[in-house]
Amino acid sequence: MTAVTTHRERLVQTSSRPSSSARPQRGRRGSITHPRGTGIALVLPAVVFVAVFVLVPLLVAIYISLTDFPLIGSYRFIGLSNYISALTDPAFGHALLYTLIYTAIVTLPILVLGYVLAVLVRRRRKGSTLLRTLLFIPYVVGLTTLSFFLVLEAQPGSGAVNIVLRALHITDGQTAWLVSGPLATGLICVLVVWAVSGLTMVLLMSGMQGIPADVYESAAMDGATWWQAERRITIPMLRRTIVLSLIISVIGSFLAFNQFFILTAGGPGTATTTAVLHIYNKAFVQLQLGAASAESILLIIVTGLITAVQFWLLRERDTGAGTTEAQR
Amino acid sequence: MEISRRRLLGLAGAGTAATIAGILSGCSSTLPEADVGAAGFGARARGTVSVWSRSATQTGMQSIIDRFHKAQSAIRVELTPVLDGQYVTKLATAIRGGEVPDLVDMDDINSSLFIYRNTFTDLTEVVNRLPYRDKLSPGHLGLASIGDRIYGVPFLADNSLLWLNTELFEKAGVDPDAATQSLETLADALPRLTSKKDGVYSWSFPGNGQGALGFTFLPHIWAQKGDFFKGKIGSQTAFITDNDVLRKTLEFFRQMWKSGWAPPSCYSDAATHWGSDFLAGKIAIFPANYATVVTPAPKSMLPKLKPIVIPGPTGGRSFFDGGDNLCMPRGAKNPSAAWEFMKFTLESAQQQNMPAGGYTPIRSDVDTASFRTQYPLDTTPLQNLDLGYAPQTLAYNVAINQADGPFLAMFRRAVFDGDVDGALEEGQTTLERLLKETQA
Repeated sequence: MTAVTTHRERLVQTSSRPSSSARPQRGRRGSITHPRGTGIALVLPAVVFVAVFVLVPLLVAIYISLTDFPLIGSYRFIGLSNYISALTDPAFGHALLYTLIYTAIVTLPILVLGYVLAVLVRRRRKGSTLLRTLLFIPYVVGLTTLSFFLVLEAQPGSGAVNIVLRALHITDGQTAWLVSGPLATGLICVLVVWAVSGLTMVLLMSGMQGIPADVYESAAMDGATWWQAERRITIPMLRRTIVLSLIISVIGSFLAFNQFFILTAGGPGTATTTAVLHIYNKAFVQLQLGAASAESILLIIVTGLITAVQFWLLRERDTGAGTTEAQR
Repeated sequence: MEISRRRLLGLAGAGTAATIAGILSGCSSTLPEADVGAAGFGARARGTVSVWSRSATQTGMQSIIDRFHKAQSAIRVELTPVLDGQYVTKLATAIRGGEVPDLVDMDDINSSLFIYRNTFTDLTEVVNRLPYRDKLSPGHLGLASIGDRIYGVPFLADNSLLWLNTELFEKAGVDPDAATQSLETLADALPRLTSKKDGVYSWSFPGNGQGALGFTFLPHIWAQKGDFFKGKIGSQTAFITDNDVLRKTLEFFRQMWKSGWAPPSCYSDAATHWGSDFLAGKIAIFPANYATVVTPAPKSMLPKLKPIVIPGPTGGRSFFDGGDNLCMPRGAKNPSAAWEFMKFTLESAQQQNMPAGGYTPIRSDVDTASFRTQYPLDTTPLQNLDLGYAPQTLAYNVAINQADGPFLAMFRRAVFDGDVDGALEEGQTTLERLLKETQA
């Protein structure tokens, strides 16, 4: 039995399925077991939900992005002007670049820390449930609440961050974390890695628990060390879970808003303005919904492209890497 | 009837198109305007008046509503407080949705945003009939007007002044009046007012709090008839790079910071503890409003306080004519009753009570002998109403009040980094872009 089904195998399976012409003929009243309308009735609620809450807002946003729609007053159709403005707007470009850098900084630490935590708590030992809960609590509390705490704790002189650093003789305790672009970014990255790695831990842990114990037992009998078992068994067999964790993490980072809005409001200057924060300001401070909608559509496209690239980079190649790694 | 897949998709598409058309058609309507010239308007009205108030002024508004309810029973006023930071967005959304309150109590600096988009009722006729029309704060009225048309009335004033701790002036042997004639005279006095060994500094400012900083910094520019914005709304441009008054003011603050006349906490002060150092008796000069200084001040400190209108670099004086305007959105359901309530808020009795809530009246004739006796520290703006100013622009929020706006970035680069030229150039470019976008 193979650990992971390969792409080639799936192709073979697909091609070996009976063609539609070979399927049993269905009568006008539907399949043998259900009347014809059953399928439509079953999917209708989901279709309506998606149409009302996803499709319609998206189409409205696309339409608004083609107008000079302000939050107050009349509007007119202006074609692709908003898109051209967004693509040539240095502020939007800066926000996108900053978001990419922020995403690049936090993604790997979230995965690595999440993996290490998952390794720590994957076995059922005394106190492991308590430990899992403690490690997952920051994610449950949420970035919004944690950011409000950090506003206070990052104050020069009086905040816990500065008090601890002063006690450790690292700083003089007067660091103004939130009024410097690099310092604020660093602090927010630490906060996010701590808060979000709990989710990665849970995802990876459930994946690890799904790996059959006999695979490890065989490896142990063959004299594999702990590290060899991780590298040759756990990581290859967690491939899909790791991909899922990475995609969730990257999309979440790329759409970051709350922590920046609360901690720095994008400042000083525009040093910590993320793409979503820029769009928010455009819509609700400058009151330009048309321009903000165009930037939102562009952000959707960029996020989609990044996710597609991730899928492509992390795809399971049919060279056997994913399939046979555990067995080689 | 059987539904085929094609028919289902067709129905879904038609439904989606109809929904979008419905949403967008509802977005483009202009709400009807009340006829304020109609016979009987604003007299013997009945019913309910819905009022939105920003949360910062909720208490003051509620106390006036309570008095209004005691004075009559035909009209009931329902108050909805809205968070300051969300006020513009929520009101804009309400107008877009056609469900507006009868009256809005809003930050006067935001009035123009709505007036220039034709969403408030023209009140010129009824305002001009008020017997005390000439006594109303001109700064507030200016922000509620386009040309000679008036779209709101002043409600309360929240002005920025220089607050002096005269005890520290005495100790330093500095004459408060002579020292505060201009930024030049202040630059001479500040070293003498600073005593680091006693923890005393001459001046305190919120170097990371753009709202409070703009409120207290900009009057230095206005004192000499300068401004950030040039021209009228619609074709306004940025006036930063060649603005000598602005340059001199930034250089004054740079000198203050570099020389250590202001405490180090100014660097990160986001105005979250605004005034605490001044109230502790450690600051000689503190630019702020009445509510920040007088309301929380211990009784023992009150005799030491002296308010001064903010001076310019080489002379002149001005203060931020901030506070609230009352405006009536188009589409108000009970405009006649709303105007009755507006008139009630402007009456002398209500206005004389404003300092109790930390605010200043908006009628100069409220400055009577009894008022001066009761609120001696709240008379300076009333005696200098003509010096009050606030810029008419659609870009105030994006330019000044936003943490990522050009004002804070320019101030910090000039004052803390010492790059005044670079700060002015960056400020010019960013403000120019924002004005272009806001007025498009």
